[in-house]
Amino acid sequence: MSDLDNINPPAISNEPGSLHPINQTKDYLLKLLADMGFKEVHGPEIETEEFNFDMLNIKKSHPARQMHDTFYVENKKNVLRTHTSPVQIRSMLNSKPPIAFTSAGKVYRKDDDATHLPMFHQVEGIYVDKDVTFANLKDLIHKILHELFGDNVQIRFRPSYFPFTEPSAEVDILSESGKWLEILGCGVVNPIVLENCNIDSNKYSGLAFGLGVERIAMLKYGVNDIREFYKSNLDFLAQFK
Amino acid sequence: MKINYQDLINFLSEKPSKEDLSQKLFQLGHEHEISDDIFDMELTPNRGDCLSLIGLARDLAVFFGKSNSIDLFDGDIEPLEINFENLSPKDCPKISFLEIEIEESKVEYKPYLENYFSTIGGNKANLFTDISNYISYELGQPTHCFDAQSIKTKLTFKNKECNSTFKTLLNSEVTLKGRNCVFLIDDEIISLAGVMGGASTACTNKTKKVLVECAYFNPESIIGKSIKYNLVSDAAHKFERGVDIASQEMVLRRFTKIVQDHAKIKSIRFKSFGEAHNEDLNIPIDVNKINKILGTSLNKDEYLKHLKGLGFDILDEIKVPSYRHDIETNNDLAEEIARVIGYNNIKSTPINLQKIADNFDGKVVKLESLLVKNGFSEVINFPFTPNKEKESINIDNPLDSNRNNFRISLKESLIENLLYNERRQKDSIKLFEISDVYTKDKEIKQQKKLGLIISGRQGHNYNDFSKKLDEKYLNNLLNENHDEGIFEITEIYRNNLDSKKKDKIFYVETLLEDIPTSFLLKLSTQQKSIDFINYKPISEYPSSSRDFSFVIEDVQAVNEIIDMLNNISDEIIKDSFIFDLYRDDKRKITKLGYRFIFQSHQKTLSDSEINKKVHEILSPILEIDRVSIPGM
Repeated sequence: MSDLDNINPPAISNEPGSLHPINQTKDYLLKLLADMGFKEVHGPEIETEEFNFDMLNIKKSHPARQMHDTFYVENKKNVLRTHTSPVQIRSMLNSKPPIAFTSAGKVYRKDDDATHLPMFHQVEGIYVDKDVTFANLKDLIHKILHELFGDNVQIRFRPSYFPFTEPSAEVDILSESGKWLEILGCGVVNPIVLENCNIDSNKYSGLAFGLGVERIAMLKYGVNDIREFYKSNLDFLAQFK
Repeated sequence: MKINYQDLINFLSEKPSKEDLSQKLFQLGHEHEISDDIFDMELTPNRGDCLSLIGLARDLAVFFGKSNSIDLFDGDIEPLEINFENLSPKDCPKISFLEIEIEESKVEYKPYLENYFSTIGGNKANLFTDISNYISYELGQPTHCFDAQSIKTKLTFKNKECNSTFKTLLNSEVTLKGRNCVFLIDDEIISLAGVMGGASTACTNKTKKVLVECAYFNPESIIGKSIKYNLVSDAAHKFERGVDIASQEMVLRRFTKIVQDHAKIKSIRFKSFGEAHNEDLNIPIDVNKINKILGTSLNKDEYLKHLKGLGFDILDEIKVPSYRHDIETNNDLAEEIARVIGYNNIKSTPINLQKIADNFDGKVVKLESLLVKNGFSEVINFPFTPNKEKESINIDNPLDSNRNNFRISLKESLIENLLYNERRQKDSIKLFEISDVYTKDKEIKQQKKLGLIISGRQGHNYNDFSKKLDEKYLNNLLNENHDEGIFEITEIYRNNLDSKKKDKIFYVETLLEDIPTSFLLKLSTQQKSIDFINYKPISEYPSSSRDFSFVIEDVQAVNEIIDMLNNISDEIIKDSFIFDLYRDDKRKITKLGYRFIFQSHQKTLSDSEINKKVHEILSPILEIDRVSIPGM
C-alpha cells in the first residue's frame, strides 16, 4: 500500500440508504398526531366483513362490498381490509372513552390503473369523548393541515358521505396553481358505530378523519405519479435520504 | 350525471347565474364540472334522490326557492286490467303500470324534449322510449316501456335462479347466472328488472300501444347486476341508490302528459300493485341536539326554516320526505343543517388533548436505522404473487391469475427489485423490506418479517469500489463476524433468475420476533425526523458511464484536481465519484480513477454526444501541468 497521507485524501463518503418515502410520510403523520394526543393502535390487514363493513355501518348494498371493489379471501370468509377503520373498531371495543386513537398501514382495493393502486396506505384518527362536535372536528383538521401545509394554506370543507360518519366532510386545500385539491375525509362519528362498539351514544360523541398517505407524500415531495412509489427504483428511492 | 343549466333553473324561482349555482351546489356537497351549460354532477351514493332535475332543484330550493313547473296529466284514467303477479314483493314492494294507446306517432318533438336529446340525451329511439328517458332525467324515476302487443299472456315478476341467455333491447346477448330479479312471460325472461329490458318486448317506431312499468326495486336486489353483466344502465344506477316509492302515479301522469304533448291519445289505463309500506319517518324537533352535534348555537326558528327549505314537512315532528332514504337520525338532520349554513361558516372550537409520545415499534426503528446507516434502501412491495404454498392465503377475486395469492415470504419481491435495478445499470444494490406476512394453518397468522438483499459493489468510494458485497459483509454487519450468527445468510443463485450478471446475491429473511434482544440492545434508536425534499423526476433513458485514470505527477495538484472534478455539474451528468486513489511513492505519481455517469431526461445519449461532453469537461484539467490520462 502506498502512503496517501501525503496527498491529504478526500473523506470517504459512506453513502447512506433511505427509508421508503411512504413510510417516512406515514411516520411523520403519526408523530404529528401523537403530538396532538393520538395514540397509535394496530390491527390485521386480513379482516372479517363484520369489522371491515358491518360494524362501520356499511350496509350489504353498499358498492364497496361488491366483488369488484374489495378483495375477498379464503372463499369469501375474509376480506383484505379496505381501510384502517376496522382497527379503530377493534380498539374501541377494548376501551372506554375518552379515547384518541390513530391507526395506520396498508389497505387494499380492487383497482389498478394510472391513479389507483391495489394497495395503498392510510392514517386514520378517532376521538371519542363527551360533547365532541363538528366544530371540534373543524378545529382539529385545521391544525393538522396547518402543520402539514403551513399556516397560510387555504382550507375548504365540503359535505360528503361515509357510512361511519354523519355529518361527513371532504376537505380540500388550495394549491399554488389555484386548484382545490382533495386532502382528507372526516366527520362526526355516526352514533350507530359508537353503539356497535358498546359506547353509549347519548353520553359520548366522536370525530374521525382519514388521510391517504400516498396523496400527502405526492403533494409534499412533488411526486406526480403514484406508481413511482412502488417501482423500487434506486434512482427514485435514493432521493428520500 | 349530466344536467342542463337551462333546464335546472326552470325549477327554481330565482334564476341564479351559473357561478352562483355552482357555488351553492358545492356548499350542498354536490361536486360537478361545468362545460358550457352542462353540469356534470358527481353525487355521493347516499343522494340517489338528487339524480334528476327535480331532485337537484329540491335541494337548491333552500337557496333559490322552487317553482312548480311540472305539468301533469290531470284527467281521469281508466283502471287497467292486467294479468300480473308479483312473486317477490320483498324485492319490489310497489309497482305500477300505465297503458297508453295513441293514434299516430309521427310527430315533431316539443322543444324541451328535442333539446334534451340534442344536449344530453344522445340518440333517439322511439317516442315512448324517448319519453321514458326524459322522465328519468327530469324526475329521477326510471320507467320501462313494453310494446303492449308483445305481452299477450300473464306477466310475472320474480327473484329467480337463472341460467339462460337473454337478449337486451340493445340487442346484446347476456347470460344470466345465479339469482336475478326478472320479468317473465310464460317462463321466458323478457326483462332484467331494474337494469335493462329485452329485445322481444321492446317498443319500436311502430308501437301504438305501450305498457309502461314504473317500480320501486330494493337497492339490495339490483346492486351489482349491471357490473356483473357489463350493462351500462342509468336505471340500475338510480335503483341501486333508491328511488321515490311514493311517486309512481305522479311519474306516470307526467308520462301521460308528455305523450299527450306529442300524440292523440286513444286510451289510458293505470293499475298499481303493492303498498308504499315504508311508514312515514318522523324525527322529534330538537334543536339542542343539533347544536350538540355541530357545536353551533342555532335557534329553533332558523333550524326549522332550513329544514322546510329542503322540503321537510314540519308538523308536531319533522316529517322526512319519501325520497330521502338517507335521513334517519338527528345526525342526518345535523348534516342537512350544516349544508345549508355552509360547512365553512361553522366556527371551529378547540379540543383539549394532551401531547403523548409516539409509540413506534422499537424493533423496527432500530433495524431501519442500522440498515439505512449502512446504505440500504427500503422498498415496499405489493403482496400479491402467483406462487401458492400450502399456508398461502388465496384471493377469491384477484386482479389476474399472477396475483391470486398473498405472499408468505419477501424474497421473491426483493429479488425482483434487485434485478429491476441491475437492468438500470445499478452496480451496488442493498435493499430491505419490513412487512407483515400472513399465513394460514387453522387460523390466519400475522407475523412481521425483515428481508434484505445485496449484490454488486460494496460502495462507490475508492475504498469499497472494488470490493463485492458478500457473505462476509453481511456477517460483519449482522453477525459480529461469526459465520454461525443470529441471521441466516443464503446465497441466491442466478441460474434460475434469467440474469447474466456475475455478482453474487445474498439474502437474509427473518421474523422480527426471532431477532434476539441482545442484538437489538446494541443498536441505537435514532430519532426520526423527516425533511420533505423536493423530488426531481427520474429519467427513463439508459445511463452510460465513462471512467478516467488520471496520472498526476505534482502532489500539490491532486486536491486541486479533485476539487475541479467534484465541482463539475452538467444537465447530463447524473453522478460522478472517485473510484480509485493510489499514490505510487516510488514513481512519485498519484493515480486517480474518476467515473462519470451520463444520463439525459430527454433521450438516449449517443457516444458522440458523451464524447463531446467529456472533451469539454476534461480539457481544463488536462491543461494543468504534469497531469495526463494515459491513452487519451
